[in-house]
Amino acid sequence: MEKTVYIRMRNRVQTRPRDPIYLKDAAQIIADDSVLSKLQKIIIHQLSEKDGNIVVIDVMKVIELISKQFDDIEVQTIGPAQTIIEVVSKSKGVSIPFFLLIWFLLFFGSALTLMNFHDDVSMRSVQEKIYTIITGKKETKPLLFQIPYSIGLGLGMILFFNHVFKKRINDEPSPLEVEMFNYQMDLDNYVILNENKESMKRVHDD
Amino acid sequence: MTIKIIIIIFLGLASGLSVGSGFVAFLTVLGIIPRLTQLTKTMKMIQSYEWAVVIGALAGVWASLRDPSLNMSAYFLIPFGLTGGVFIGMLAAGLTEALNVFPILAKRIRLDGEIVILIMAIVFGKIFGSIFQWIYFVHR
Repeated sequence: MEKTVYIRMRNRVQTRPRDPIYLKDAAQIIADDSVLSKLQKIIIHQLSEKDGNIVVIDVMKVIELISKQFDDIEVQTIGPAQTIIEVVSKSKGVSIPFFLLIWFLLFFGSALTLMNFHDDVSMRSVQEKIYTIITGKKETKPLLFQIPYSIGLGLGMILFFNHVFKKRINDEPSPLEVEMFNYQMDLDNYVILNENKESMKRVHDD
Repeated sequence: MTIKIIIIIFLGLASGLSVGSGFVAFLTVLGIIPRLTQLTKTMKMIQSYEWAVVIGALAGVWASLRDPSLNMSAYFLIPFGLTGGVFIGMLAAGLTEALNVFPILAKRIRLDGEIVILIMAIVFGKIFGSIFQWIYFVHR
């Protein structure tokens, strides 16, 4: 009688360079106890130098390996059709000078951008006019309006990104976290199609 | 004469229509109102938020075209400035997010976990730039 094995490929797996990748690393397996431990120890890929830092393992390769070793097993796959193996060489920390450079780049960049924006939309004359509308007096330095405005500017950005210095206003992910997630998904999709030799067939491949 | 007046009325209406719909479209693209309702969990009130935008825009039109004078205390400017600032800050944040700057930048310097620090750079930069401009820069 054929035994059924259920396999669900993981989305992303991180490994060290030159490690063998076992099936249990790359996929979740449900199988009969008699074959489970053997299945888990199948080496589906041996990482080498020329692999680069991303390898895509297609589920077809996994099925092929399993059916080579066991002839009475039927494989059922669920979920993603491939696993992205990410080779993490050593855990690279953030380089502090590089980080500071970016930080100050963003800091002065946004300061300048904002000043240019204010100039572009004639913010100054509008604010003087608002001052005159409210109080009936002329004032070339309506600081009573401008200082709260400046602070509010920062508050608005924090509010939008839902971060009050890491503290959350509520539990929902911030738009930026969603954006990071989408970006990662796009990268993964690109990698799945382009690094996986099985998923494309070109005219001149032979 | 009448035909001239009709043409003027038509032109005014047309330009107002395009500017107004452009403003609303811009707000929609940047997703500020959904963001605010999501933060405060007041999805049911979204219709009155729409009216707030419309009435606010009309008040702005009235103030900029008629030059009224309300003769109130100058301290009314503080909440006015603060809320105006928050609104423009959210506009700027929405724009930065729409341009996808942060995910790419954070990935490049491997700072995926702590984008907050990058956001804070931009937030402080904005506050600094704004205060610097109003206190020092404009009077040089």
